[in-house]
Amino acid sequence: MKTYIARRLLALIPVALVVATVAFVLIHLAPGDPASIIAGPDATPEDVRKLEHQLGLDRPLPIQLVQWYGHLLQGDLGRSIFLRKPVTEAILDRVEPTLLLTVFAIVIAVVIGVPAGVISARYHNSAGDQALMGLALVGISIPNFLAGLLLILAFSVWLGWFPVAGYSPLESGWLATLRSLVLPAFALGLVQSALIARITRSSMLDVLREQFIVAGRAKGLGERAVVYKHALKNAMIPTVTVIGISFAVLVSGAVVIETVFNIPGLGRLIISAVLRRDYPVIQGVVLCIAGVYMFVNLVVDLSYIVFDPRVRYQ
Amino acid sequence: MTRIVLACVLVLGLAFAAPAQEQPKPGGVLKAAMIGEPPSLDLHWTTAVIVQQITWHIYETLYTYDKGFNPIPMLAEGHTIADGGRRYTLRLRQGVKFHNGKEMTSADVVPSLNRWGRMATPGKALWKFVEAVEAKGPYEVVIHLKEPSGSLLYGLARPNNGAAIYPKEVMDAAGDGQVKEFIGTGPYRFVEHKPDRHIKVARFKDYVARTDAPDGYGGKRVAYFDEILFIPVPDVSVRLAGVETGEYHYGQQIKQDQYDRIKTMPGVSARVIRPSAWSTAVINHKQGLLTDKRLRQALQAALDMEPIMAAGFGHKDFYRLDGAIMFPEQPAWHTTAGFDLYNQKNKAKAQKLLREAGYAGQPIRWITTQEYQWMYKNALVAKQQLEEAGFKIDLQVVDWATLVQRRNKPELYEVFSTGFTFGPDPALATSVQCNWPGWWCHEEKDRLMDALIKETDVKKRRVLWERVQQLLHEDVGRIKFGDYFTLDAVRRELRGFQSTPELYFWNAWLAK
Repeated sequence: MKTYIARRLLALIPVALVVATVAFVLIHLAPGDPASIIAGPDATPEDVRKLEHQLGLDRPLPIQLVQWYGHLLQGDLGRSIFLRKPVTEAILDRVEPTLLLTVFAIVIAVVIGVPAGVISARYHNSAGDQALMGLALVGISIPNFLAGLLLILAFSVWLGWFPVAGYSPLESGWLATLRSLVLPAFALGLVQSALIARITRSSMLDVLREQFIVAGRAKGLGERAVVYKHALKNAMIPTVTVIGISFAVLVSGAVVIETVFNIPGLGRLIISAVLRRDYPVIQGVVLCIAGVYMFVNLVVDLSYIVFDPRVRYQ
Repeated sequence: MTRIVLACVLVLGLAFAAPAQEQPKPGGVLKAAMIGEPPSLDLHWTTAVIVQQITWHIYETLYTYDKGFNPIPMLAEGHTIADGGRRYTLRLRQGVKFHNGKEMTSADVVPSLNRWGRMATPGKALWKFVEAVEAKGPYEVVIHLKEPSGSLLYGLARPNNGAAIYPKEVMDAAGDGQVKEFIGTGPYRFVEHKPDRHIKVARFKDYVARTDAPDGYGGKRVAYFDEILFIPVPDVSVRLAGVETGEYHYGQQIKQDQYDRIKTMPGVSARVIRPSAWSTAVINHKQGLLTDKRLRQALQAALDMEPIMAAGFGHKDFYRLDGAIMFPEQPAWHTTAGFDLYNQKNKAKAQKLLREAGYAGQPIRWITTQEYQWMYKNALVAKQQLEEAGFKIDLQVVDWATLVQRRNKPELYEVFSTGFTFGPDPALATSVQCNWPGWWCHEEKDRLMDALIKETDVKKRRVLWERVQQLLHEDVGRIKFGDYFTLDAVRRELRGFQSTPELYFWNAWLAK
């Protein structure tokens, strides 16, 4: 087990290296450059060239790449061109809102998705099942930015219960933070809950047809015990996988919702960095998100042991 | 009985008092929802409009504009001109404090002007004519010019990429880079910048205001708010929703199709910023197909501006067909020279010119962006019109960052979309500069522009300018589609706020 974890952790290094290189090359191959953005629309080409030189962006790409590797080895992600601070600091500044938003959204997704899936499976083909799955279909089909704007319209503009946008940091009180995250978390979580509900339902349906369920019922177990104790636990492996992936998707997928709700998280950081071609920040955040994906995958793999004792990692 | 009389008097008194001028009230935090983040907070570094809109609450310039867009003193007290217009002696106001407590003197002004002349785009254009800037005692600065200039004061008064006066030590610490401390003499001082969250400025208690009445951007500036938060809110519908619920007091650049809806919102007023800018197709004169004047003329002849502008700006109140480089709101500079060539809608003429030029359907590469929807929609309708006339248009839709980079590379395009924002002095107008992307360099035009920058006589300047505009149309320097206006949403409790081409919040206050 320990060697397995160690092996998996070591495997992160080459993956990170590939991700870092691909991110670097792709973003530098993309047209556009930060100097033109800093100089502004009325600047002349000479002004832009001068600025490019000043920022060191006119050096050959391989040299820039090697320099960046050098800094990476020392744990330095470089300095943001626009934010006037190190990338690591910029990322750490943004972790709090994104992490809280993601956790909140995943809680919403699980609390709604898993019971909806179980109920649908238990009352398979009933009107309730069809209604729930119909809702889930709507949930999957609505893009989250639209869900976000509709929630703003209903709960902020009409009812005035929640702020339209913005984030209140933890230091100003957790209640205010929670309030500022309710709408974005629902906008993100509802879509994921639909996905989780559908996966839970189909995996529950498979399990409910298994022989051990028939055996359980035959020996006189109550329906509740059959569904919640035996079937649910066995049906959880695909669900947990989806929840894990959802978590990673939410960390990176908060881009749109953070923009709509004006939340200064990692998503906003990367989107404004891409729009302004703030290369060091883009590379740093991509690396960071890749790390989150790899870590979450590891945790999901390890969690299988809890749900299925037959799983062994050696 | 006495009570009744007293009550009547009181009621009448109140009734008469109510419509009287409301007294400005200090206090409160103004929340302004801006379209995005400024790329820098160093005004000398960038021509990005949002930088000026935020930072000119912090920094001030020696001159600024009155309501007729003429230069008037701001940090300067006044000036004298000698040596046939070659020597400007600027007297500085005394007792003006920087936010770090230090008094502003010529020791700060001279390096500020030199840095601006070295770094800023308009500064560089003007400094070609500047021989030297020197201090003459603590409160006088002398600018020696190689030749007289009609544009020097206009240039010093510009808010955009303006000649902000920084403390000397801040510039020394910055070297060739951007300033690291944001210190000026303005009514608000910089407090903090939390990227993607806000830029906070607070009232500068020791601000030394001018004593003359407010006039345009000049005169007495008062900071009524305790603080202003400039909040970047990139999503336009969220900006509007925020103003509707009262979360923001001001929402910048709302979509024009929301105009009628805003007018029905209680507590919100719709402000049309007129003039704002003009929408244009910039032609590449340096390289490629459109270096052939006949092709440019064909392009110009084919276009029908009404549907182009209607597609871009939706509501009639937000665009105007006008072929002039300067706006009708600037009577000193607005002219109808060359108007017969604007908005011709003449496909037959275009086809004839195409035949004469031997055009064989080679694609015209047109770079545009959806980041500014109106640019894309203008280009889309124009493409359709041009293709009907026989052109083949290769519309390349990219993001703004790509557009501003590619436009510097003449080998990559024939046309790109952009807008030219309002500016008071024609001699510094980006729209006619030869060294700007598109490289519209034309011997007579450039000679006229040189003369315009040097000429000090207003009447002569106007004659020169009329000819420049004539040439813009004759040589098809740029294709102007039309003027457009932007829309801001403002809470009614924000009082004293003026909607002008340049955004500012001094002299404005919150009623509750």
